[in-house]
Amino acid sequence: MKKFTLKQLPTDHLHLVQPQHLKIDYKGELNPAQYEAVTSVDGPHLIIAGAGTGKTRTIVFRVSYLIELGVKPSSVLLLTFTRKAAFEMMRRASILLDSRCEQISGGTFHSFANGILRKYAGQLGYDANFTILDQTDAEDVINLIRTRMKFDTKERRFPRKEALYDLYSRCLNTLTPLKELLALDYPNYLEQEADIQAVHTAYVQYKKQHNLMDYDDLLVNMVLLLKQNEPVRAVLSDKYKYIMVDEYQDTNKVQAEVVKLLAFKHRNIMVVGDDAQCIYSFRGSTIRNIMEFPQEFADCKIVKLEENFRSTQPILNLANEILKRSV
Amino acid sequence: MYYKELYTHKSGGSLPQLVSAENENMQSRYVVQKVLALREEGVPLKEMAILFRSSFLSFDLEIELTKANIPFMKFGGFKFIETAHVKDMVAYLRVLENPRDVVSWNRILLLIDGVGPRTAEKVIDDILKKRVRGAEPDGLVGEGAGSSTDLSRYWMQFNDYSDNVQKLFDVLKHVAKPSVAPAEKTYQILQYYEPMLKTRYDDHQKRRKDLEMFQNITERYQDVGSLLTDLALEPPNESIVDVESPGPEDEYLTLSTIHSAKGLEWHSVFVIYALEGRFPTMRSVGSDEEVEEERRLMYVACTRAKENLIITYPMNIYDRESGMILTKPSRFIQGIGEHLLEPWVVE
Ligand SMILES: Nc1ncnc2c1ncn2[C@@H]1O[C@H](COP(=O)(O)OP(=O)(O)OP(=O)(O)O)[C@@H](O)[C@H]1O
Ligand SMILES: [Mg+2]
Repeated sequence: MKKFTLKQLPTDHLHLVQPQHLKIDYKGELNPAQYEAVTSVDGPHLIIAGAGTGKTRTIVFRVSYLIELGVKPSSVLLLTFTRKAAFEMMRRASILLDSRCEQISGGTFHSFANGILRKYAGQLGYDANFTILDQTDAEDVINLIRTRMKFDTKERRFPRKEALYDLYSRCLNTLTPLKELLALDYPNYLEQEADIQAVHTAYVQYKKQHNLMDYDDLLVNMVLLLKQNEPVRAVLSDKYKYIMVDEYQDTNKVQAEVVKLLAFKHRNIMVVGDDAQCIYSFRGSTIRNIMEFPQEFADCKIVKLEENFRSTQPILNLANEILKRSV
Repeated sequence: MYYKELYTHKSGGSLPQLVSAENENMQSRYVVQKVLALREEGVPLKEMAILFRSSFLSFDLEIELTKANIPFMKFGGFKFIETAHVKDMVAYLRVLENPRDVVSWNRILLLIDGVGPRTAEKVIDDILKKRVRGAEPDGLVGEGAGSSTDLSRYWMQFNDYSDNVQKLFDVLKHVAKPSVAPAEKTYQILQYYEPMLKTRYDDHQKRRKDLEMFQNITERYQDVGSLLTDLALEPPNESIVDVESPGPEDEYLTLSTIHSAKGLEWHSVFVIYALEGRFPTMRSVGSDEEVEEERRLMYVACTRAKENLIITYPMNIYDRESGMILTKPSRFIQGIGEHLLEPWVVE
């Protein structure tokens, strides 16, 4: 008998769509470098470029392009610095193509992590209805623990709640050991490292016991979940097949870790940013994420956009001059 | 750095301006008049933005804008959700969602007349001991995802407290029912909270407006959980106290911290208070790294502009913390040649 062997078709049928069947004239709307970034959809990509060169526009067109190729909207994940910015990009993509672009997964790192954690809270010893502490709430809890553990009455001066919160938060966000941070910023508390650590341990326990998370926990627990739980990681990596991050220069190490873990199966990850616009390092963001991306993903394609489409030349001359005078 | 010089194929464009004003109010009045002039030239308010290093730097300008009847929206800095009265309201909703939220319990118990830290602690201990009837034998509240019927049964257990405390539980009991929508819950709680608002804050009328806005926000939600999450993660940016409501044509001027302006663009951009000691801030100048971050902020600010960029600074600003008088333009623009930045003075 003759045999017909079924071929393994690619799940997304990506490359079955011919360019002439696309609704949007990508080549006409984009310059060659942007076009390249929009249309090469597989594998790791880094777009690094100055202000107003069309980085965000490139992401918007890429969302539309992926959808046109037949990628399921919910498997496109777009992360950025505010939800407003994420919505704006989805809105623009929808105007460009159609309302499918509004159904992609998107938001800030924190809101995305929140969504995932509600679903998998049980895996971390939490309930799905955990509530979120803002900074002052978190400081109050720390203060309570500090008092309970009688650090308020010791002969030696012990850091206040604000300093403790700041320390813990930066330890997590910059993945720096407590000791190092103490040596750097609070050398007079260096001797009390063990006690400071103990308060932190109690703080973590307290939050779990009362079903509370602070802002940092959202990211930290997300990483914990992805790291500890291989099946969950696989499910999520399968779910979010195309990941894009705007303003990557303002992400911190924990956020970079989230992205890396999520992309572990397919490595379809595009990060976009401008090292000259890093303005959140006071909160632990680091341009090292952008600088080290090519090492992290050795085969990544680097796209540079050079032409500014926003401003007049006199404005750009001044902006260039301001940076040039950097010490 | 990967940095490349920025260029465009667009031709033309006028030089950015550096405008010095004798004092803060002259700076504000200059901005108001310039905004009105640009508007006459056909630039809509929505295409203009006033950017600043820190949120408080726009206070005087806000007053002048209001006088001139220019609608504006302010972004960044102070958040509506961080005000004490809104936090109070949120705390009630938080205990409804997560009865183990001790932080919120503490807040709302201490609001009650005659309840001090000790009583609060006792009540909280008691709350934590209560179990959900019908849930697992050892299950504390919330475990097993705290299904809504379990939760409403849970609330039935709080009965024998002193009158003042019991009043709180009666309200919670009532609104905890799953059939009560978030907006209705908020409304009921507000009725209960109102007298405390009045005794606690002299400016309760102003605060009352914030709570009305809060009430409006809750209308959009089906469940308390997602309302709380949004409030925590993406709070509305401004307190009603700080916002002039936009005009009828939805035409408004943007006031924004530079941090909140990132990624955006406008036809005309003003960067105010480009004053050494304010931008870069006094606090940052001790560290090279921090000064460089301030410089990048200035770069972000300038690159928001499409056609017009106007940088202003007031002279003669008294800095309380250092006791110094600030007079010099920001180091980031000080000494830049006139072929790049055109100097102007307000008189
Ligand atoms: N190829 C293009 N053709 C026409 N206009 C373009 C093109 N690329 C970008 N633009 C326009 O240039 C402006 C800046 O683009 P965009 O906001 O995407 O830049 P960006 O690199 O993200 O800037 P930022 O660094 O400030 O975030 C937008 O108005 C955009 O529509
Ligand atoms: Mg952008």
